[in-house]
Amino acid sequence: MDPITAMYVAQGIHGLAYGMVLFLIASGLNVIFGMMGVLNLAHASFFMLSAYLGFQFVSLTGNFWMALLLAPVATAICGVLMERFLLRKVHAFGHMGELILTLGVAQIVLAGVKSIWGSESLPLKMPPILEGQVAWAGLNYPVYRLFIIGLALVVMAIMALLLYKTRLGKIVRAAVSDAGMVNALGINIPLVFMAVFGIGIWMAGIAGVAIAPILTVFPGLADQVGMDAFIVVVTGGFGSLTGAFIVSIIFGLLSSYGVQFFSQFAPVLIVGFMAIILVIRPHGLFGAREG
Amino acid sequence: MKKFLPAIGWVVLLGALAAVPAALGPYYTNLFVNFAIFAVFSVSLNLLLGFTGLFSFGHAIFFGAGGYGTALTLKHISGMSLLPALGAGVMAAVVLALILCPIVVRLSGTAFAMLHLAFAQVMYVLALKLRGITGGEDGIGNFPIPPFTIPGLVSFPMKDSPQNFYYFAIIILGVSLWLMWFFTKTPFGQVQLGIRENAKRVDYLGFKVPQSKAVIYVASAAFAGVAGSIYGLFHNLVSADGALGVLVSFAPIINIMLGGIGSFLGPVLGTAIFQIIEELVSRFTDKVELVMGLTFVLVIMYAPMGMLGVMRMLKQKWFPGPAAGNATQKTP
Repeated sequence: MDPITAMYVAQGIHGLAYGMVLFLIASGLNVIFGMMGVLNLAHASFFMLSAYLGFQFVSLTGNFWMALLLAPVATAICGVLMERFLLRKVHAFGHMGELILTLGVAQIVLAGVKSIWGSESLPLKMPPILEGQVAWAGLNYPVYRLFIIGLALVVMAIMALLLYKTRLGKIVRAAVSDAGMVNALGINIPLVFMAVFGIGIWMAGIAGVAIAPILTVFPGLADQVGMDAFIVVVTGGFGSLTGAFIVSIIFGLLSSYGVQFFSQFAPVLIVGFMAIILVIRPHGLFGAREG
Repeated sequence: MKKFLPAIGWVVLLGALAAVPAALGPYYTNLFVNFAIFAVFSVSLNLLLGFTGLFSFGHAIFFGAGGYGTALTLKHISGMSLLPALGAGVMAAVVLALILCPIVVRLSGTAFAMLHLAFAQVMYVLALKLRGITGGEDGIGNFPIPPFTIPGLVSFPMKDSPQNFYYFAIIILGVSLWLMWFFTKTPFGQVQLGIRENAKRVDYLGFKVPQSKAVIYVASAAFAGVAGSIYGLFHNLVSADGALGVLVSFAPIINIMLGGIGSFLGPVLGTAIFQIIEELVSRFTDKVELVMGLTFVLVIMYAPMGMLGVMRMLKQKWFPGPAAGNATQKTP
């Protein structure tokens, strides 16, 4: 196959993999916002924390798979504790309070990560089975990116089943549309929200461990990927998972092809896309108008 | 005697401000200028947030526009004097606000905040990438700072005289604060309060809500531009991270939060607290983020109405009376 097509395919795979990771983070952010209106600025910090925990686990035991299983769960427990003991207390005060609180937690996580692991980038080794490339139809595909896409699809399938086939999912969807009403019907919304918060952070945690071998682990990770995830949620529309999914993929592809064709201005491409969408549809592509 | 108390207060305040460079030395004088810049910036955001209920995540665009406007003017136009350069910065912010306001005045709440975050990101990335104009990561530095001149009368050099610059900055920022204070006391300022509390009702009363929002939006941008312009002159450097970064947008929100939403002096008090914490922390430990984060969490957990809220509570506790119970400030 000629090198041009190979380049297009390779960049496409990179973009898809990054888009999938973005969606794992953004969907959690999105459901949390949709349900309680909480803008979790610490979401990306938990994503980073999970990457660090994964790094620590791999360097202690050398087992990537256990790290992928355990680090997100440990991070999710941290997240649930934060929700229970901090976020819930300030919820009555409104969005400003939640914003400041989660910003504070993000700073604390950043400081903690820096003091424990230092400021330099730490490499996380991918398991040998996922190294290298697989050839199919005359083209080479990097195995690890394909693995990320597959992993994200599995997590998404689990989430879709939870959301659309279980009682919990039904409650969550109802709560996204009107939390107060669901609460009045006798369902313990704070408890459900705690679970949703935990699941959202678990998904971000999986994304953190999965992306670590590609991006390495460093304290700026939360800012870099977190901002992208945030942009995805805003552009896709708050509370809309379809929007988050479509925009994640578009952003992944935009950033990978953007780097290929306009190396310098790739970030402008993404934020410019967001600005245009927001000017035309202020509530995001699939967002509903508030009020 | 009671009639003269405010006048005496003003004289004492002005005297104290005039004595700052002599009394505190250059280091603390610079700290104080920095405080004054961010106080004006925070109060300008509070015009939107506290008085009209519009919450912006990207107020740094106007701060940055002011800074870049002044810096570019001074860099490229030789012989430019100080006040027109300041005016250029303010104009940059105002023009930007005029371009944005037809888009944003239709919105409120989360969409308004998010759209500003988006604009701030666009501006930030553009400032980083358009190296030919903005200098990229390095920013624009070492531009000439002209003396403050009134033709035929006086000329104060600014470049190597921190004391002169202090007086210049304090006067400009003080006048800005006073203008904003004045603005909130006009009938128009009261309409803004009405929009915050109930936009629909203000609409029914015959006031034009989007237009009112647009006016306050532009005014807020102009004062943020003043703060940004002075900031650029003060540091003799305008960079993407220093003037347009996400943290620049968050700083006034945090100041307002620490001080207390909705009151005029809350953000000023909050800025002072924030600066003192930052200063003390950077002296004793390099873990600035940890202390900052803990401060946010503790403040929001235990003093969600800010320092003014705490004071009001203490006042009510120790001096219960009808006056203390009248606190009608509500959070937007």
